Amino acid sequence: MQRKGRTAFIVAFLSPAVFIYALFVIWPLLQSFVLSFYRWRGVSQQKTFVGAENYRKLAVDDVFWQALRNNLALLVGVGFLAIVLGVVIAHAMQGGGRLSKMLRGVYLFPQAISLVVVSILWMFLYNPSFGLLTTGLKAVGLERYDHAWLGEPKTALPAVGTAFLWYIAGFYIMLFAAGLRAIPEEVNEAVALEGALGMKKFWTITWPMLWSIKRIAVVYVVINVMNVFALVYLMTQGGPDRKTEVMLTYLYEQAFKNSQFGYATALAVANFLVAMGLSALLMFVFRRDPQEARA
Amino acid sequence: MNNKSILAFSLTALAIVLTGCGSPGTPGTPDKVTPVAVKEAPTGATAKGEIEEVAFKGGYGIDFYQKAAEEFATKNPGLKVTVTGDPRVWEQLRPRFVGDTPPDLCFPGWGMDHWALVAEGQLLALDDALKSKPFAGDGTWGDTFEPSLLALGQQDGHQYILPYYFNVMGWWYDPGVFARNSWTVPKTFDDLLKLGDQIRAKGIAPITYQGKYPYYMIDGMLLPWAFDVGGADAVKAAQNLEPGAWKSSALLQAAKMIKQLQDKGFFQKGATAMSHTESQTEFLQGHAAMIPCGTWLSSEMKNVMPAGAKMEFMLPPSVAGGKGDASNVIIGIEPWMIPAKAKNPEGAVALFKYMTSLDKAKQFVEQKSTLMAIKGSDSAKLPDALKTPAKVFKESKAVWSVQYRQWYPAFETEIENALTSMLNGEATPEQFCDRVESGAEKVRQDSSITKHKVTG
Repeated sequence: MQRKGRTAFIVAFLSPAVFIYALFVIWPLLQSFVLSFYRWRGVSQQKTFVGAENYRKLAVDDVFWQALRNNLALLVGVGFLAIVLGVVIAHAMQGGGRLSKMLRGVYLFPQAISLVVVSILWMFLYNPSFGLLTTGLKAVGLERYDHAWLGEPKTALPAVGTAFLWYIAGFYIMLFAAGLRAIPEEVNEAVALEGALGMKKFWTITWPMLWSIKRIAVVYVVINVMNVFALVYLMTQGGPDRKTEVMLTYLYEQAFKNSQFGYATALAVANFLVAMGLSALLMFVFRRDPQEARA
Repeated sequence: MNNKSILAFSLTALAIVLTGCGSPGTPGTPDKVTPVAVKEAPTGATAKGEIEEVAFKGGYGIDFYQKAAEEFATKNPGLKVTVTGDPRVWEQLRPRFVGDTPPDLCFPGWGMDHWALVAEGQLLALDDALKSKPFAGDGTWGDTFEPSLLALGQQDGHQYILPYYFNVMGWWYDPGVFARNSWTVPKTFDDLLKLGDQIRAKGIAPITYQGKYPYYMIDGMLLPWAFDVGGADAVKAAQNLEPGAWKSSALLQAAKMIKQLQDKGFFQKGATAMSHTESQTEFLQGHAAMIPCGTWLSSEMKNVMPAGAKMEFMLPPSVAGGKGDASNVIIGIEPWMIPAKAKNPEGAVALFKYMTSLDKAKQFVEQKSTLMAIKGSDSAKLPDALKTPAKVFKESKAVWSVQYRQWYPAFETEIENALTSMLNGEATPEQFCDRVESGAEKVRQDSSITKHKVTG
C-alpha cells in the first residue's frame, strides 16, 4: 500500500513535466521526422509526399557537406579550445591571488551578454575600416597582416570561431571550476605530502579526477556547436561563398529563403542525428570512470 | 537519460529514417506542380465591414498606410480598417497563410517568397479589378499604373502582384567631391578606367560595394553591363534560363569588367566584408568616390549623412559599342497583394484603389522620398536625390527589372556566392560564368520549381 502510494506520488509529480515535454519537444520532433518526407513550400497547407527524395538530395548536396564540415571544424577547433581554456582558467581561478579573484569576477561576462550583442561587438572588432583589429595592426606597423576578416575565405571561419569561443568558454570554465572544487581536500593534501606538484600533480591526480566533468563537457560542446546559428547568421550569413555555412544557417536558408520546408526539415533531422550520434559516441569513449572502476 | 537510453533512442531514430528511405511504394519524384485554379478578386465597388491590412515596416514605416486607412474609413462610414506592420512581417504572415487566416491586403516585404504564394494559389488574380474604375478619374484602374511596372506582377497572363513604390538601380557619387577634384562623371567604362586612376591618385578608393550582399553588384554592374554588351535579348535569355545564356559573351564580358576593376585596385579594401550600411557609410564619409545602390539610399542613410555631404545618382558607366541601349535602367517594385483566403477582398481592392490614387501617390513621393508606380506621381515635389533617377526612368528607352531573383531564390544565392568567390580571387570570370550556368541547369532540371518567363 505504501509502495503503491509512493508510485502514485511520483507519477503525479512527474506527469505535468512529461506532458509538457512530450507536447513541446517530442511531438514536434516526431512531426519534423514526418515532414522531412514531404515537399512543402510553407505558405499553404498543400504538402506532397515525396518519400526519401529530400534525403536523396541531401546526400548529393555539396553545401550540406560543406556545412557539416564547417560544423565539425568548429567542433574540433572551438570545442577543443573551449575545454582546454576551461581547464586552464578554472585552474588559475582556484588560488587566492589577485589574478584568481579578477578571473572569478569576469569569466562569465560573455555568457551574460545577449548573443546578438556578442555578434555585433565582434563585428565591430573585425570591421575592415575602423575595427580594433585592423587599426591595431596598423598602429604597430603590421598592416601587411591585415585582412577583411569576415569577408575572406581563409580568415572567415577562424574569425567566427574565435568569437564563438569567447562566448562559450565561460560555461566550460564554470564547469571545470565546479569539478576542481569537487576533488576532496584530503587527496590534494596527500599529493602535497608525497611531493607531487605542478604539472605532475595535474596529470596524475587532477586530470583523471575530472573524468565525469570531461564527459559532460564534450557532450555540451557537441550540442553547443551543432546548434550554432545566431552568431554565424548575424556575422556572416554563412559567407563568403559558404565558407562559414553551418547546418542551421543552411537550414534557415532552405526554409525561409527558398521555401523548401520539407528539405529544411530533412536537414534538421540530419543535424539531430549527427549531434545525437556524436554525443553517444563521445559518452561511450568517455564512459570509464576511474574512481568507479577502482571501487 | 543514461548512455544506453540515448544510444537506443538515436538508433531508433536512425531506424525510422532508414526504413523511411527504403520503404517500397514511395512515389518518387512527383510530376510538375499542378497549376492552381485562378480566382479573381472583386472590383472593389464598395467598402464595408472590416479590412485588415498588414505591411512591411521598413525604412518608410507604416504611418502613411495607417493615415490612408483612417481617411478611407472616414469616407466610408461603418468601415473599420486596421493596419499593422513589422520589420520582419513575412515571418508573421507565413503561418497565417498556412493557417488560412491571412489579412485582406498585404505587403509582405522582401523576406517573403511571393511567387511561392502564387504557385500555391494563395493570391487572388486582379485582372477584373484592374479593368474596373479607379478611385478617381476616368479609364480603368490598370491605366493608372506605369505599364512596365505592372508587368512585373504577372504570371501566365494574370496579374497577382501590384506595384506601389519602386526603386531605380544605379550608382551614386558626391557632386561636391567630384567638383572639388575636377572629376567628370564617367559616361562609359573607358571613362571609368581613366577616372579611377585619377581618384586613386588622391588616395581615395574609386568604388566601394556591399560585399556581404552581392546583389547590389549584380544589379549595379554585372547585369547592366551584360545588357550594354549583349542588348535586352542577352539578359532576357539569362533571366529565362535559356541554356548557355549565363555564359554568353555578354555575361562573360560583364564578369571580366568587374574583374578588371578589381585587378586595377578600384574597389575599396575590405569592401568584400562590408554590409550595405557599412559600405554606404564609407561612401558618405568620402573614403570611396562611387557606390552602386538603389534609390532608397538617401532615406536609408539620412541619419548618418555627414554635414556637407551630397549624393547624386548616375547610371552605371555604359559599354561603348555594345548592342544594348545606353539608357537602360533597372527598376524594382515592392509587391502588394490580396490573399485568396482574404475575408474582405472587396474592401481590400477598394482600399488599395484609394492608396494608389494620384493624390495619395504624390503625397507618398513627397513624404517618403521615393518614386511611385502611379502615372503622373513624379509631378510631385521631388527631393533632390530623386530628381535624376526620375528623369532617367522617364527618358530611358529600356526600363527593365531583375526578376529571376524572386523566381529562383536558390539560384540567386548561387550567383551571389559565385561572384563573391570571383572577387576573392578563387575563380576566374570564365569559372564564374560556368558555375552560374550549372546553377541554371540545376533549376532547369528540377521539375518541382515553377518556371517563369520575362514578358514583353
